[in-house]
Amino acid sequence: MSTGFLQSVRALIALKPKQKLTAQYLLSLGVAVLLAFLVGAGIMLLSGYDPITCYGAMFQGALGRPRALGNTLAKTVTLCLTGLAMSLAAKAGIFNVGGEGQLYLGGLAAAIVGAGMEGAPGWLIILCAILAAMAAGGAYAFLPGWLKVKLKVNEVVTTILLNTAAIYFCSYVANGPLKTAERGIASGTAMVSKAAWFTPLIRLSNLTTGVFYAAAVALIVWYLMTRSTVGFEMKITGTNERFARYGGIRAERLMLWGMVLSGMICGIVGFIEVFGLHHRFLTTISSEFYFDGMLVAMIMRYQPVGVILMSFFFAILNIGGSAMELSAGISSELMLIVQSIIIFFMAAEGGISEMVRAHAAARRVRRAAKRAERGQAL
Amino acid sequence: MSEIFNLLLFQNTLRTATPVVLCAMGCLLSDQVGIMNIGVDGMMLMGAFFAVLGSYLFGSWAMGLLFAAGIGVLLGLFYYVFSIKFKSDEFIIGVALNILAGGLTVFLLRTLFGVKGSFSGPGIVPLPTIRIPWLEGVPVLGAVLSGNTLLVYVSWLLVLGIWVLLYKTPLGFHLRASGEAPEALRASGRSPERMKRLASVLCGLLAALSGAHLSLGYLTMFSENMSASRGFVAVACVIFGASNPPRVFLAALLFGFIDALGLRLQRYIPSDLTSMAPYVITVAMMVVVVLLRRKKQRSTL
Repeated sequence: MSTGFLQSVRALIALKPKQKLTAQYLLSLGVAVLLAFLVGAGIMLLSGYDPITCYGAMFQGALGRPRALGNTLAKTVTLCLTGLAMSLAAKAGIFNVGGEGQLYLGGLAAAIVGAGMEGAPGWLIILCAILAAMAAGGAYAFLPGWLKVKLKVNEVVTTILLNTAAIYFCSYVANGPLKTAERGIASGTAMVSKAAWFTPLIRLSNLTTGVFYAAAVALIVWYLMTRSTVGFEMKITGTNERFARYGGIRAERLMLWGMVLSGMICGIVGFIEVFGLHHRFLTTISSEFYFDGMLVAMIMRYQPVGVILMSFFFAILNIGGSAMELSAGISSELMLIVQSIIIFFMAAEGGISEMVRAHAAARRVRRAAKRAERGQAL
Repeated sequence: MSEIFNLLLFQNTLRTATPVVLCAMGCLLSDQVGIMNIGVDGMMLMGAFFAVLGSYLFGSWAMGLLFAAGIGVLLGLFYYVFSIKFKSDEFIIGVALNILAGGLTVFLLRTLFGVKGSFSGPGIVPLPTIRIPWLEGVPVLGAVLSGNTLLVYVSWLLVLGIWVLLYKTPLGFHLRASGEAPEALRASGRSPERMKRLASVLCGLLAALSGAHLSLGYLTMFSENMSASRGFVAVACVIFGASNPPRVFLAALLFGFIDALGLRLQRYIPSDLTSMAPYVITVAMMVVVVLLRRKKQRSTL
């Protein structure tokens, strides 16, 4: 790429404020969160609960004790990785909604490797399991990516349908051919070799040494997206595909790679869940984790640093929501409602502020016209 | 073989295809005006819940349908306001709407009915089944085509009605124009926004009614996440039916057939695999249709 081209691309991206997290955007985000909490409080009042007790229980349950904090941090890791997976693909101009299925397959592949390599040293098992998880997740993302790039088949629809297919497939494997012989496990595979288990960092919490693997992945993604040429090319492709092609970027290959990398990250999330938490593949390994991460990514406009920070907030809502259900008795799904309200506000933010601005401008014009009229009358 | 391929298979096909047909007809309208609605899955779920709520509260299936229709219209309007008025990303709004629907229905299920997972009871009145006396005499057709629930027949009429609306009436022409050439429509003195609003509201209505068929049609119950991605299947049907009502209808029927076949095969094949098949085949069909379309384009060039 020539420097002239690079400069013009920089100018092009600078012209698109939607791509950046501006101060105004962050301010709107604060307002949106506040409003969403108020709506949540309204729902609590309507269903006969005290909002202050509920929200108190939520924050206490997410941050109050070391164990709770550990769980919140572990959740942050999951949200952050899935959010980054979404961001990476979205930045390249392709939407990966199939992370849930990729996560399942990655977890299953990791569990199979982990159980099959009984007796091998821990580090070797972990290495092989990571590779297997990445391969499974990546391959499952390659399919819709390839269909999108080569045949222009809508990737949002294919990835969603493939999610359902993957979850059923994993359920079949965990209930059928690879069902563990142990008693008391409803639907799961055999246990991963103990040598490879992650060690908990905070006692009794879900936070394990898996967080270091996650940190490494996050760092690589951050570097790839913001500091590398590939990331820059992806950004251009995502912003304006035709312009990118004009500049000699092989847009299709980048989109495909964005998708595959995204799938690999999802596979790694599955691997971390298996080796850190369940020590085997269970059909309940994820409850729509990817969709939570996807929301975080969308709210933060696919900016890696923003995604990492926002993950923590959403983890508080998530872990705190369950604690709130236990102590205050209100259904934790309320937090899903609050989260989606934040997203509605943020998605409409640009349009609403534009409307407000247009309205204000129209009023100014009207007032000026009136003043001018009065001036003439005098 | 006769245990699998019998009349019941075709009866089941109609049952399982109908929600997809209804929802796909809604998506089709939305698609024609240029709004990609991937929030229909959530709308379907909300419709299913509110249909049960209405039916349970008033002891009448008609109130169930009315409740579902009401929430559907609201959600359609909501989708329109966000995607067109506020210029939000349709994809984000759709995903968020699906999550909202998942959260809200479970929340209401626990708060209003105090149950987890699913709610069923004798208080829920199912949709009526309609018998066509003169058809019942016909050997095979009678057993399949007569005695279905109300919405099955409504869905057939809709396919015809929407086709006539879109291709034979001025309103349909304006609807299609608002998606293909909004500025041309505006130049002719009509508002493309109004057309988009109309289509979006109808889309919400139909998606919610498809949900009502899920919860009141042949199962009188609501369970968490009972739409099970059928909304997305409907979107897929619209894509490979190229937004043409009869073709979309056939695609939905095919999905229903595979789904029904899977149910009947469960005795021989693990249920997870039979449940997986419709989704895999839907993706495969999408690919085949795109390939065929490309081939056609190449041969005309």
